[in-house]
Amino acid sequence: MTPLPFKASELYTLGMELELQVLNSRDYNLTGGAVDLLALLEKSPHPGDIKPEITEAMIEISTSIQCGYAGLLTELTGIRDAMVREAERLNLSIAGGGTHPFQKWQDQRIFAAPRFKHIHDLYGYLAKQFTVFGQHVHIGCDSGDAAVRLIHLFSRYIPHFIALSASSPFFQGVETAFASSRLNSVSAFPLAGHMPFLPHWDAFAEYFEHMRRLQVVESMKDFYWDIRPKPEYGTIEVRVCDTPLALERAAALAEYARALARYLSEDKPVEPSADVYLVYGYNRFLACRFGLEAEVIDPYERRKRLLSEEIGYTLGLVSRYASDEAGAAALLHLRDVASQRRGDSVLLRERLAQSKSLSDVVRWAAEVWMRG
Amino acid sequence: MDLSFLPRFPPPLGDVSVIALILLAGLGTGELFRRVLLLPRISGYVLAGVLLGPGTFGVLDRGMLEGAHLVLDIALGLILFELGSRLDWQWFRRNRWLLASSVAEISLSFTFVWVVLALLRIPWLQAAIAAAIGVATGASVLLVVMHDQRADGPLTDRAVNLTALNNVFSVVAVTMLLAPLHLEYRPGVTILLIQPIYLLLGSTLLGYLASVALVLLARWLGKREELQFIALVAMVLLTVGVAKALQLSMLISLLALGVMARNRDRGRDLLPVEFGPTAQVLFVVLFVITGAAVTLGELAAGAGIAVAYVFARLAGKLLGVVPFSGRSGLPARKGVLLGLTLMPMSATAVAMVEATARYYPQFGERLAAVVLGAVLILELTAPLATQLALRAAGETHPDARWR
Repeated sequence: MTPLPFKASELYTLGMELELQVLNSRDYNLTGGAVDLLALLEKSPHPGDIKPEITEAMIEISTSIQCGYAGLLTELTGIRDAMVREAERLNLSIAGGGTHPFQKWQDQRIFAAPRFKHIHDLYGYLAKQFTVFGQHVHIGCDSGDAAVRLIHLFSRYIPHFIALSASSPFFQGVETAFASSRLNSVSAFPLAGHMPFLPHWDAFAEYFEHMRRLQVVESMKDFYWDIRPKPEYGTIEVRVCDTPLALERAAALAEYARALARYLSEDKPVEPSADVYLVYGYNRFLACRFGLEAEVIDPYERRKRLLSEEIGYTLGLVSRYASDEAGAAALLHLRDVASQRRGDSVLLRERLAQSKSLSDVVRWAAEVWMRG
Repeated sequence: MDLSFLPRFPPPLGDVSVIALILLAGLGTGELFRRVLLLPRISGYVLAGVLLGPGTFGVLDRGMLEGAHLVLDIALGLILFELGSRLDWQWFRRNRWLLASSVAEISLSFTFVWVVLALLRIPWLQAAIAAAIGVATGASVLLVVMHDQRADGPLTDRAVNLTALNNVFSVVAVTMLLAPLHLEYRPGVTILLIQPIYLLLGSTLLGYLASVALVLLARWLGKREELQFIALVAMVLLTVGVAKALQLSMLISLLALGVMARNRDRGRDLLPVEFGPTAQVLFVVLFVITGAAVTLGELAAGAGIAVAYVFARLAGKLLGVVPFSGRSGLPARKGVLLGLTLMPMSATAVAMVEATARYYPQFGERLAAVVLGAVLILELTAPLATQLALRAAGETHPDARWR
């Protein structure tokens, strides 16, 4: 028996986690309102799950297992509406976006829970700097081997998801020149990066057991990888996306991940290759820095390609695997975003150019999230 | 020998030296409070004022205090402006239970104090005015403690919003209750209704005009914090000056300035006010002068009544806030903490007592004994209570210093 069982789940099912910003409605800075907001939400019926995150100005929502885009969007909307209803009672606003544009990390308070206290004790200031907001997409796999294989195939497409979701051009009050500055905060952690190039689940289980015996990790949660297997759910978890500004974009990205997973598993266009990890770090940087304007290196064809064109091309390939009509429309919309190169980071910069106030940028972002 | 070039002895203390004296005494007492008594510095500032003031050792006489009044006006002006700019009407509209708790808190603290004072055989009109003054939470204490602790969160927000409303109520109620006094002292009935209306509308209009000017000025200056601060101080002083000249309410004008500057600023031209170290200087003067208005003799005479006043007022605040906290979205425990943050009484209460005393000297004196005694008790206890409440609610900054 392998020491790390992988619970098979239904193929291509979907789940999502989103980390969101809790804001005051005065200057739209982050505020430690998660405690009171969670207390209210506990008493108010809502779909999905709403949980605390490392600092008190963060809140995480997660959906149940969904088969496709329409169900996912409905559930997300239900969660959003419940949150907005309770947040308004507390005079709080909620927003997406990978970073808060002008919060100061040292102002953040660690949420009072043993796990977060442990992280703060271990990582010191990195824990408070981790007040960044990401989207995690879960895709169901029917075996550990399939999960490992899918992770390696998927790794090549990480720049797509970074660029399409990038919504963190501002950080600590500074224009970073990045489309996604959030991932730089993730990279500071020692166990960030990608999964090693291992051939199958047994090899992975052995690797994990080895790391555990070396006391580098205690559980899978200690790996901060961009994509990691989640054996207890039977999924792979894609963790590179910034939380988009709008709910619909988050659902569309999940739909893209699902369709791409199906395309990679069923059409088998390529086999896993270690070469992917040679260009991985650099491509990841390019996508973070330049977003949809990036030119990335294709590890299979060994040449540079415009990321926006590659995304458009790939979306064309996977579109027949859309889960439903609404999902297909969402994929088409993503194609437009890529071809016009107008991701969230561009919209945020335009907004700042208009209003010249980061506070107003966040107010607008909160409006986009809360009102749709 | 002609020695006329030498100064008189003792040399007269100019306004400048008076402010230095106020600052040094405040600083010293404040630090002693913090280090020895483990109490917040604010309480120390106030006690320094009490000791130096005309009622106790008389180091500061009334003339000197008049001279320092300019500093007090700037300090209080900035505080009331900020209080106004944090007032969020929309929230009260979205959360009716919050509005209910505001109404309850105001009416219960007013009624309890009034009834208790009446039971203690204080004439009803005097008791009512004292109660109306007590409805207002001391914005200077609340906001300075908040800034000190860098407090932020739903409870802090509520404390500020409830305080803004109870201050407005207090000014209007006191004005209306003073009207019967006019009748007692001099004839004329129109004054009963017209004065409060003049006060409310006039002050709001003044605040409105000042807010238009401030937002235009901020837009013209651009987003430069130091320049905007100058503009803000100028507009605050202008508002205070005009309010005084036109016999309007300084408090309502400044609150209106804050509320409307924020709401009219659609282009977000106004930067948020940061009270830096310079503002701390103003606040020390504010609290010392507030203390100087109180005399220990008065307190000794009316200590029992003052204590009753404080407890009745606190009971009203707590019973107003706690029952509604759950419905308005705050756990009951935090409802109690919210009640505690409404405890302070400070400069505005003193100003209302002094204004009454100016028009009706005899009446004001009797009123002063009751209210100023309560102010003194609360200046020594409420800063600590407010701070403890914000801490217990977990809304203070992780690096904020204790006391």
